[in-house]
Amino acid sequence: MFRNYLLTAWKVFMRRKLFTAINLLCIVLTLVVLMVIASLLETAFRPSGVEGKSDRFLQVLMMRMEGPKGNRVSTTLPGYKLIEKYLKPMPGVERVAAVTLPASVSVYQGLNVSELMMRRADADYWKVLDFRLLAGRLPTSADDAAGRMIAVLNASSAQRLFAGTPKQAVGQRIDVGGQVFEVVGVVEDAMHLNAYADIWAPISTFPTSDYRNQLSGLFTALILAERAADLPRIQEQVARIAQGVVHDDPTEWNKIRFWADSKLDVFARILTQSTDTPDSGAGKLLAGIVVAMLLFMLLPALNLVNLNTGRIMERRSEIGVRKAFGATSSQLAVQLVVENVLLCLAGGLIALGATAGVLAWLESADLIPYLQVDLNLAVFGWGMLIATVFGLLSGVLPAWKMSRLDPVHALKGAV
Amino acid sequence: MLRHLLKLTWKRKSRNLMLSLEILIAFAIVFALAAFGLRYLQLYRMPLGFDAADVWSVTVKPGDNGNKRFDEALYDGLRRELSALPEVKNVGFVTYEPYSMSTMTSDMRRGGPEGSAGGGAVHTEMIEGDDGAAGVLGLELADGRWFSKIDNGAAQRPVVLNRRMAEAMFPGERAVGQQFIEADDRETPQAYRVVGVVGEYRGKGELAAPDNFMFTRLEPGKNYRDARTILLKLRPGTTRDFEQRLNARLKLVKNDWSYQITPLSNMRASMLKTQTVPLIIVGVIAAFMLLMVAFGLFGALWQNTTQRIPEIGLRRALGASASQIYRQIVAEQFMLSSTAIVLGLALLVQLPLTGVFGENLNWPVFAGAALLSMAAIYLLSLLCAVYPGWRASRLSPTEALHYE
Repeated sequence: MFRNYLLTAWKVFMRRKLFTAINLLCIVLTLVVLMVIASLLETAFRPSGVEGKSDRFLQVLMMRMEGPKGNRVSTTLPGYKLIEKYLKPMPGVERVAAVTLPASVSVYQGLNVSELMMRRADADYWKVLDFRLLAGRLPTSADDAAGRMIAVLNASSAQRLFAGTPKQAVGQRIDVGGQVFEVVGVVEDAMHLNAYADIWAPISTFPTSDYRNQLSGLFTALILAERAADLPRIQEQVARIAQGVVHDDPTEWNKIRFWADSKLDVFARILTQSTDTPDSGAGKLLAGIVVAMLLFMLLPALNLVNLNTGRIMERRSEIGVRKAFGATSSQLAVQLVVENVLLCLAGGLIALGATAGVLAWLESADLIPYLQVDLNLAVFGWGMLIATVFGLLSGVLPAWKMSRLDPVHALKGAV
Repeated sequence: MLRHLLKLTWKRKSRNLMLSLEILIAFAIVFALAAFGLRYLQLYRMPLGFDAADVWSVTVKPGDNGNKRFDEALYDGLRRELSALPEVKNVGFVTYEPYSMSTMTSDMRRGGPEGSAGGGAVHTEMIEGDDGAAGVLGLELADGRWFSKIDNGAAQRPVVLNRRMAEAMFPGERAVGQQFIEADDRETPQAYRVVGVVGEYRGKGELAAPDNFMFTRLEPGKNYRDARTILLKLRPGTTRDFEQRLNARLKLVKNDWSYQITPLSNMRASMLKTQTVPLIIVGVIAAFMLLMVAFGLFGALWQNTTQRIPEIGLRRALGASASQIYRQIVAEQFMLSSTAIVLGLALLVQLPLTGVFGENLNWPVFAGAALLSMAAIYLLSLLCAVYPGWRASRLSPTEALHYE
């Protein structure tokens, strides 16, 4: 039965090659756009590579402080003291790292000025994230303790500052905003929420040690669990820790809250601005993405409906014969939907190839620095899902129309 | 002729409905894109209010995360130190430099009890600026004067408004010399006195919508927030390598602070980039969608004409010329597009009427976007009709009548 559907579908597709090509082109164009978006989202929410430990990774990015009357609210980044005093001693986690968000700095080399994005990170940062080291070494906790003025560059910046191989950059000295650092290592480029930067230095290289006494400040805390199953427990633990945090000035700020979030939760929390509940709004964010994708499919689906309706008219004698021999309307409708979904899946496969091309272009075009999107099995799955949904969306209406054709008229060829 | 066309279209209404719907959505997409682009163009041409040429900004980052407030002596020290550099023409302090992403807003109202004349609150963006800020930014006063030493010890904090704010606050009156207060529930709200009015100030750059704006005079001790951005007007032709000497000089003042030095031209470029990149991405996607619509319309029309070959044969046999057939096909498509566009316009005109997008979708933008998108859709649908129409008109009547 199914084999017959396939054979018929193939014959129909081959009979009108131009229209099959147009159909396919429309499908591929739509799916490429959706798949590029899906793979970018997949890379943002569940990256592999540098930040590949997503399944046992949490982070504290925002801290909310409330005044006694509840009329004043301040949302800031956590400070070093908060991470050092409250989060690092937390039991039952593999490690907790502190790192600043990237900030723009100027690197002076004689007459040359280069603007780089700089992070200051402790030694744990290099163990939570899996940077691929190209030359030299990574900072250790001994460097932190000694306050050594050392820096790690990424490959592009090393190339920009010291033309040549990464090895040649190691051991060089650079002037970053008036502070002189020795380059000890070069790592690969990375574009991820926590890995993105051009240059890294230990936290202890701050010009003053005031950061040690700040509850709110410039940092984010990365928490690595031992097992993926521990995450809910750690999230509760962090929420409890937050309740116990006492501000230096309790009359000013008496209520402090923060949450340990997964990647998706972090993005959702920033976008939905939900800083006062454990729920990050990830559900809302995902629903929004799905609705936006369906809306985006509307125009291409209408387009395909129009094309398909035309094709049915060409096939009305076939439909008439099948109806005369007893095929029910629903059987015919299912057949057409199956045909359409098959075409969409074929289009999906082509679109996957095209998506790889578009992504390769995006990576080289430098619109987003250091972008590296991996087309993995998950993206393939999303792509096929999107293709199927699209096929159903655009196949149902023509199929319904077709099944309504009167066999007598259909056989005679009149509409 | 028209009635005849209408009848033919109506006979195939369910099929034409889907086609019109498709054209309608395509029209809406082109409209949105055109409106977006035209609004940006309109904003780009409006006066900016300041001159960013050869201006550098230095953001001061104190080591203590800003717990200790800056005092007058500190500002004076920085001012003296920087003015001594030969490259520096003018020095000014502001809370945020132009083209920065930060915003500070507040509500203001005229004195007197709530609800009395002028009691309504006016929302405004604001920054603090010192006496030198106007010189650095090249602000041009339309009325009154900029802050100066004579404001020392004034009872109310002196402010300079932009014209938009002055008109919102004091409609039909001269703003200079007037007073107003901050609209909050403090017992003694902060009072302000207008000393000048500038024509315009759009701190967020060329593509930002004009908004109410107010400068307050930087007075250490009275200000809510320190001005930690130094603006420097440099001599023309100063190159980027001055940055290192500037940084060294600043380190002399406070060694444990860090300084982020950026020419405003760089900030302008990155601001423009962040504002235009979404438009470009949407534009590329919309272009793909239009391409798809073009293919779809072309295919649907082709199939339409193929189905109607017997009808066309009959018309030819009864004496219709090839060009008449051609015109019929194109005219039908034209009518279909017109229906969709009229419907689309009827829906879209609700946007400026109800004012959901406020000033961003004003009537000139609406009219321009409507015209542009109409032209694009007509062009698209006529292009799609040209080949099927030509093909239909070429059929000889005998062939067409026999077609099955």
